[in-house]
Amino acid sequence: MEYVLKTNGLKKRYGHYKALNGLTMNVPKGSIYGFVGKNGAGKTTLIRLVCGLQEPTEGEFSIYGINNRQKEITKSRRRIGAVVETPSIYLGMTAEDNLKEQYRILGMPSFDGIAHVLNLVGLENTGKKKAKNFSLGMRQRLGIAIALAGDPDFLILDEPVNGLDPQGIVETRELILKLNQEYGITVLISSHILDELAKLATYFGFIDSGHMVKEISAAELEAACRKCIHVTVSSTEILSQVLDEAGLEYTILSDKEANLFGEISVTELTLKLAERHCQIHSMRERDESLEHYYIDLVGGGKHE
Amino acid sequence: MSKLLSANFMRLRKNKVFWGGILFMAAAGIYYPIGRYIGMKHDGYTAHLEDGFFICAVFAAVLLSVFCSLFVGTEYSDGTIRNKIIIGHKRTDLYLSNLLTNMATGAVMCMVWFAAYLCAGIPLLGFFQVRGAVILLLTIAVLLLSCAFSALFTMVSMLNASKAGAAVICMLVAFLLLFTGTYLNARLQEPETYPVYDYVVVGEDAADMAAGMQEVAAEEKNPHYVGGTKRKVYEFLYDFMPGGQAVQCSSMESERPHVLCLYSGIIFIIATSIGMAVFRRKDIK
Repeated sequence: MEYVLKTNGLKKRYGHYKALNGLTMNVPKGSIYGFVGKNGAGKTTLIRLVCGLQEPTEGEFSIYGINNRQKEITKSRRRIGAVVETPSIYLGMTAEDNLKEQYRILGMPSFDGIAHVLNLVGLENTGKKKAKNFSLGMRQRLGIAIALAGDPDFLILDEPVNGLDPQGIVETRELILKLNQEYGITVLISSHILDELAKLATYFGFIDSGHMVKEISAAELEAACRKCIHVTVSSTEILSQVLDEAGLEYTILSDKEANLFGEISVTELTLKLAERHCQIHSMRERDESLEHYYIDLVGGGKHE
Repeated sequence: MSKLLSANFMRLRKNKVFWGGILFMAAAGIYYPIGRYIGMKHDGYTAHLEDGFFICAVFAAVLLSVFCSLFVGTEYSDGTIRNKIIIGHKRTDLYLSNLLTNMATGAVMCMVWFAAYLCAGIPLLGFFQVRGAVILLLTIAVLLLSCAFSALFTMVSMLNASKAGAAVICMLVAFLLLFTGTYLNARLQEPETYPVYDYVVVGEDAADMAAGMQEVAAEEKNPHYVGGTKRKVYEFLYDFMPGGQAVQCSSMESERPHVLCLYSGIIFIIATSIGMAVFRRKDIK
């Protein structure tokens, strides 16, 4: 698999505070990578490092195979477009002037693409209205338009739907999907709005306390989040024998815990286990969402 | 860096603070010689064209402190400095492009003052009474001084992510430097001695005392006079510090304008070197 971004043991310290603590992650080309973590987990810090706004304390990363210690990293950054935290736009300028400014910074030979980019983000009719008079959603879309100005292959969006109204959230989601599916742009989205990420992402990375807890594809996550019955028994060895005989699908989690899939007759299962002197301690139905999965993964409290 | 400069100059064209500064310099440049002319006619003293020609050094210091902090500060407050770094521009280029833009602004403001002053002043006060070489040297000194101020204010603005904080610091620095310059000027102007007049009675007749009084003048040491090593330090600071230079240029009292040019160059190099070195390592949010 080809990766757009790879990090290896990345660390960033602010004084004694470890914002990133050996983060290793891989963003596959063509994916929408959902970067999940609570506030202060290190999402924005990683994005700042990748964008060159800050330098890592330890560790390394590569963008399109170019290591951050190589001089060529600035060239590979030209393939990146990013909106870090708040949209980076001149509030005293119109949407068009903002894009013209970005085109000049990029050294683009003409302003021909501006109308297309404004149309793409739905800001073609803003005229002489200055960005300071835009709604939050419009500013967010202008920020994305500026990030798209250099025709990037890799788009980094830090909390893109934070503070947006429902319509703004839908518009931003559709825009991201369009950019990924129609233009083939790899997207890294950091967010803690998990339901929204679940509708977009094809890969997930779960970060907590500055390190990666788990990386998983959307397909794997879907399988992990399948509706199931979680049972705690005295022996999963006996349980597996009974389930094999009944032809049921299951996953053994430990010597006492297992997940059972499909339609199960609880009475029949209980009787069969009782015949073999296997006790059922608990049995509960589990319909995991991304949110539940995340909570299970990092724990409700502090995760070390 | 040409891309960054091009973007900066386009932004400058629409910058209200820039145009406000230009308008102020033009208006003040016209008003000042007219004011001198009216004063000359009213009070009967003789005014020359060069008398207030270089006072723009003081105005430029204050205006640049406002402009530099707001122009660069906007990059931080609007977050647009990130756009430039994300797409791969080097931090050195970013710093230098902002410095060059600020320097150009300072130079344009001074030029506008000179042009406005000459347009209004020559018809009213005639041409310069001092040698052209002196005017040229002081003009260069003022332009280099504005570059030194630009370098100082660029350093403060680039290293301070708070636009308001940078603006306050820059203005405080500008006024502090100018007040220090004025203070040093006042201390160095103190004479070493001053005459003390005593009146002694030379006649014997007390009734004729007034007629018998004689004025005796004696030189007495001025306790406020700065002498020795302290004077040398004061003189160096007066020449070296931009505030002192601004006072010297505006009053045309400098005997060594070329030394002022050299000191401006040194301040420029020091401020820019420190600014770039720290900015290269600065964490940007």
